[in-house]
Amino acid sequence: MDLFFQQLINGLSLGSLYALIAVGYTVVYGIVQLINFAHGEIFMIGAFGSFATWTVMGSPTDWPATGSLLILLPVMILGGMAASISVALLTERFAYRPLRNAPRLAPLISAIGVSVFLQEFVRLFYGRIPGLPDAKSSIPFPAINGITGEIIQIGGVTIQMSAVFTVGALAVSTAFLWFFVNRTRTGRAMIATSQDPDTARLMGINVDRVIMAAFAVGAALAAIAGVAHGLTNGNIGFRMGFLAGLKAFTAAVLGGIGNINGAVVGGLVLGVAEAMATSFIPGQLGSSAWKDVWAFVLLILVLVFRPQGLLGAKVVDRA
Amino acid sequence: MKAIISDELKLRLRYQARAVGIVGALAMIASIFLTWAYGHEALDDMAYPGAPSPLQLFFGLLALLVLALLAIPLVGKPKLGRWARIVAWNTTAKTAALAALGMAVVAVAGIAIELGGLINVDPGGWVALAGGLVSVASTLFLPDSPEPSLERVKSPKWLQISVIGVAMALVLFGAAFALGLSDAGSFLTFAAFLVGLVMVLRQFGAFDWLSIAGANNNRVLVLSAFAVAFVFPFTQDGSDANMSIAAQVLIFAATALGLNIVVGLVGLLDLGYIAFLGAGAFTAAVLSESAFSRIDFHPPFIVTVLISGTVASVLGLLIGAPTLRVSGDYLAIVTLAFGEIFRITMNNLDGSDGPNITNGSAGIPGIPDLDLFGFNFGDPHIILGIDIGRFANYYWLMLLVMGLIIVVFTNLNHSRIGRGWVAIREDELAAEAMGVNTFALKLLAFSGGAFLAGVAGAVKAHHDVSVTPEQYVFLESAFLLAAVVLGGMGTVAGVLIGATILKLLPEKLRFFSDYRLLMFGLLMVFMMRFRPEGIVADERRQLEFHAEDEELADEVEEELITHHAHLNPDRKAFEL
Repeated sequence: MDLFFQQLINGLSLGSLYALIAVGYTVVYGIVQLINFAHGEIFMIGAFGSFATWTVMGSPTDWPATGSLLILLPVMILGGMAASISVALLTERFAYRPLRNAPRLAPLISAIGVSVFLQEFVRLFYGRIPGLPDAKSSIPFPAINGITGEIIQIGGVTIQMSAVFTVGALAVSTAFLWFFVNRTRTGRAMIATSQDPDTARLMGINVDRVIMAAFAVGAALAAIAGVAHGLTNGNIGFRMGFLAGLKAFTAAVLGGIGNINGAVVGGLVLGVAEAMATSFIPGQLGSSAWKDVWAFVLLILVLVFRPQGLLGAKVVDRA
Repeated sequence: MKAIISDELKLRLRYQARAVGIVGALAMIASIFLTWAYGHEALDDMAYPGAPSPLQLFFGLLALLVLALLAIPLVGKPKLGRWARIVAWNTTAKTAALAALGMAVVAVAGIAIELGGLINVDPGGWVALAGGLVSVASTLFLPDSPEPSLERVKSPKWLQISVIGVAMALVLFGAAFALGLSDAGSFLTFAAFLVGLVMVLRQFGAFDWLSIAGANNNRVLVLSAFAVAFVFPFTQDGSDANMSIAAQVLIFAATALGLNIVVGLVGLLDLGYIAFLGAGAFTAAVLSESAFSRIDFHPPFIVTVLISGTVASVLGLLIGAPTLRVSGDYLAIVTLAFGEIFRITMNNLDGSDGPNITNGSAGIPGIPDLDLFGFNFGDPHIILGIDIGRFANYYWLMLLVMGLIIVVFTNLNHSRIGRGWVAIREDELAAEAMGVNTFALKLLAFSGGAFLAGVAGAVKAHHDVSVTPEQYVFLESAFLLAAVVLGGMGTVAGVLIGATILKLLPEKLRFFSDYRLLMFGLLMVFMMRFRPEGIVADERRQLEFHAEDEELADEVEEELITHHAHLNPDRKAFEL
């Protein structure tokens, strides 16, 4: 039974990470029906941005736990958000906006180009910025006192503090996101635009700005996920966005694309399913080498049998 | 450009501008007899006065074009007769001047980089650059000419056929010359020349004329293209490096053609296509006589190739049957996930995470050369006194496969099936309502394309000698897609060009290899932004991407009419 709870905890932590990224896919898809293929790279840039912020702060390693948690970590997250949001807005402006009325293949292909470009850009030029390490191989993520290496032991179940951080970050982000979408003007404009962009425009909503807001919200959460990934895995690399992005998209589809709550639920379900698969599938197929395969099989099964996702897609099919 | 200089000014200064432009062209022609570079190492040695290097001669050709286009109209309109209307003299001269300037810029930059500084550029280089600048500046002051109408000129059949033959010979010569250039500077300079020449010919109306001539003499065109491709190894004098590139290009292009059916004709975006190539390659590797093959069944290659294709197309059916009901974007992600599943599975069939079939990440090395009807592909041999190496054998085999694929592709494209595919791409609901069996046709495209990729993969396994899972990552799928998009979705010629560019450039620009992917990403974005229909545009698709462009719609319609007028000369008009 301990194994079950241990894997549940691991799965929830992993799933929270997927959920944080998946929100970005779902928000953008809900409004412009674009699979922002480069969103995984936005997540990666968030992680690198927070690393750069840490370097700018003088690469501190000996701050006490309270200072680390109350000042260092929030500042790093904000730095990561600044990086990811600006990159997301730039890609929206230059790679997607000109293609908004093009056939649907065009923006998707453009997004693949952006994805490759961003990966290579970080690989080639991150180390050229004075003071930053070369990004051609993985960079060790800074240790945050109070999180890194700390564990909570409950019976036979070990909980990493980084897992607590990830789950907590998801909870806080979801609360903020709920407030933003349902209680602010911009949020309600986003709902209106996703329901019917033309009518929304007639009602005086600046659709361009709403789309930018959607990209920015997704990028902000992706940056949090980037920091969480760094804390959990201990290192970051320019390739980390591809697989994480693909999994997060799976999570978004699983929950029902366009549905923010769905992205959160989908992420958690996917994370738990992946963790359970490595423990409870018997034989060689249960080894961790197959866990990505199970995630993708789940994606295919969902698309075939329940394309609207677990909670129902909130997208009007205008195609 | 039009906005900068008013039409009035152009009309007033047209004689002066023409005179200045001619001076610029003469300066450029003179420059090739001067030295361009201080050292012999730069480009293809431009340091001999009075003896132009090949690249300088090509530059001289562009300069001569500028001169001719500017000077010939001086004889006056009456003497030019109908040629005054057939050729867009001024506009073409402007393009030619720009092409010459572009080539000069690339050459001067190449010299400066290869020898270390602009100080190494000799007067000849500067004269060429200045001449180019002068002629470009002056042609900007020439009034715009009307659209060229070369394609309306009635021409005898012998002329059409001989022009096609000459054009093919030029393609062969150009390809051999380009592959022979080993240093990146010369290659780029030559590429600049080719791009410039193509632009000029296009402005001249030569391609419109050629496409009609080609349509009239379709068989001649296709046969001569194959003849040229067949003769190509004889120009390489046993050089394995270039033949290896050429064989790789053909394998890549064959796979891209399979993807072209799926993406270009049916409009289903497949992001995991490389898995089908991989399936073919792994099947062929496992069934080969390699010491690392785990299966004790080694049929002759003819059987292997069919099994490889079948395995790939069964995979296509397996992935297609359940997922083809989902809409476009979802399908893209499902196929991407499938590609990843394939790669991970090949990695895991290593004995510890699954049955040992593929040796995991180490892959299957030591695949022997092909042996067809007692002919071993590894043996070099001599034909007509010219060495033919191992890779040339694979090149010819792939050429044969390619020919089959193109025949299948074009016939399908013009059949009931092909029209059904295009109908699905345009509007699936409408197609279904008109009685097109959309599901069966989509499945056919999926498994048929996969079969082609599987066949290409089987040859690739033997050509590459080893097969590993890491050769079949997502990026390779993206490259295939890029070849289709870059060349022009739904066209054969476009995909061939796209595949050649994407395989050849990285091989020739090795100094650039670190930035290869960066440029690749940018290229995808810019293509979608500025020319989503690709280099060779399928007319219908071009309209699709520029739906609001009324002018283009008229142009396409008019082209269709002239095209039909040529195909059916007895019918005067063609009603759309």
